[in-house]
Amino acid sequence: MPQEVGKQYSELLRKYITHEDETDLYAAQQVSRKFIEKKISPEEVISLHKTSVEQIFPDLALRIGPSYDFLIEIMIHYGLALMEHQSLVRKQEALQIEMDVAVKVQDMLLETTVPKVNGLDIGVVSKPAKKMSGDYVYFIEQGNEEACVAVADVMGKGLPAALCMSMIKFGMDSLREKATEPHHVLEVINQIVEKSMDDSMFISMFYGKYVGATSTFTFGSAGHEPALLYRAEEDRFVELDAKGLLLGIRKDVDFQQKSIELATGDFIVMLTDGVTEGRNAEGFIEEDVILGMLRDVKNLPAQQIVDHLYTELFKMQNYMLHDDFTLVLFKKE
Amino acid sequence: MNLQVDVQEKDCVHVFKIIGEIDAFTAPTLKEQLEKVADQPECQAVLDFKDVNYMDSTGLGVFVAFYKKVKAVNGSVKIVGLNKRLKRLFEITGLDDVVEIEMESGDTNGTV
Amino acid sequence: MDNRSSVEIFTEWDIVAARQLGRNEAKNSGFGTVDQARITTAISELARNIYLYAGKGKIEIDRLSTDGMKGMTIIASDEGPGIPDLRKVMEDGFSTSGGLGAGMPGVKRLMDDFKVESEVGKGTIITATKWLR
Repeated sequence: MPQEVGKQYSELLRKYITHEDETDLYAAQQVSRKFIEKKISPEEVISLHKTSVEQIFPDLALRIGPSYDFLIEIMIHYGLALMEHQSLVRKQEALQIEMDVAVKVQDMLLETTVPKVNGLDIGVVSKPAKKMSGDYVYFIEQGNEEACVAVADVMGKGLPAALCMSMIKFGMDSLREKATEPHHVLEVINQIVEKSMDDSMFISMFYGKYVGATSTFTFGSAGHEPALLYRAEEDRFVELDAKGLLLGIRKDVDFQQKSIELATGDFIVMLTDGVTEGRNAEGFIEEDVILGMLRDVKNLPAQQIVDHLYTELFKMQNYMLHDDFTLVLFKKE
Repeated sequence: MNLQVDVQEKDCVHVFKIIGEIDAFTAPTLKEQLEKVADQPECQAVLDFKDVNYMDSTGLGVFVAFYKKVKAVNGSVKIVGLNKRLKRLFEITGLDDVVEIEMESGDTNGTV
Repeated sequence: MDNRSSVEIFTEWDIVAARQLGRNEAKNSGFGTVDQARITTAISELARNIYLYAGKGKIEIDRLSTDGMKGMTIIASDEGPGIPDLRKVMEDGFSTSGGLGAGMPGVKRLMDDFKVESEVGKGTIITATKWLR
């Protein structure tokens, strides 16, 4: 330990014992900060204190000395615990950096661009509850006439989830030129992930394809939350469900495929359970509430509708997301 | 939030009575109990959800893993006592087509 | 003068004897109170590991004097089960979380030099040195 620090401590202690002035205690606080900076361990501080006390009260040294030795012994483990803690903090900082890199890689790898399709207005919002999301949205654009979208929820988060997402992405990319029929896409992706996934993992996925020329939306679902269809003319909502098992559970699965035609003002809302399973203090946020919100802003552009819904539901949940939250909206102009 | 799992065995069928909410915090408890029997040859299990009012995706993950393991040893899983919300969860996920679900009234729904 | 002394570890009382020996040697070597306590704690941890995991073993203490440097070496040896995963026991948080005490990283921190040789099924030798400054 640097001698000047020891001397400073000794003088300060002597001063305080004489005057018992708050100024000295304030100075002591500064000293303790310096000790920590210089990595002086708790047991060394006690040893320093012992030496100082023995200098100030030489006649007491023999009587109280051993009590300090006892305390030094006790403090050794505190010193170790402190060092361990500091080393774990450094480790955590390193992990944090690694995690940030992983998040960046995920963002880059899974980047998607919202397609521009004649007569279709698209809005999307996807917010992770934690750093890495379990929700995934991927678009495929085919000229200005067609657009495909996958909205998936991967059970589990972090790297395993990101790897599953990349399987979905590459599955969709490899099919884009050949066949993009929803039931076929789901079958192929199911076979890819079934082989490579851990037992407790699964993916739910909604897949839709919009064709501008006919204004038709064709879709299939692998165990995913049904999408919602708003019929402008009738001012009512319809659930778009199609039968299909979660991805990654069985090798050969058939997926039902359905088609609907969109009229002007109609829109389709694809979502994940982070939207429908939102909880507030009173319990679950009911579907009626969500439908009501959608109806309130139905005349706004697609992006504004999803942004509004996100903001309102976020508020209702006390500004906390319990689960990843994803909304994709296709609106016929 | 608590979860209790009572296990009973009668005539070679393991009956799991699950009580509480199954979420990220409580799912490991269920997993631990299920794993004890999952790889027994031709394991037969009944999961009673009568006193479960909520299950999230973590819980579903535990169930899926159990289902896969039991299938691998040629066993069977039956589910009873689903409330409306949980029944919907099993329907949406398509799991009602691959496991036997017995409704309160006694009718069965889908068997493989 | 014989520079080596040792204590056999069989019972928990032997841990105390090893501590006592270490403290005396440290004091005689000229270590200050804090370093005495550190060396003793290290010995205590090593002896305790022998007692808990190997059943029996030995703590030896060497007084060193080389190139004008003075110091003390602790050698803890046993013919116990050995350490299967050295990396794991040297990790922070591994032993402390189980309430086992300062563990190996703690001993390493208390001393200046630290070396482990371990073979599964054969035993473990840990050598730790503290230099007098």
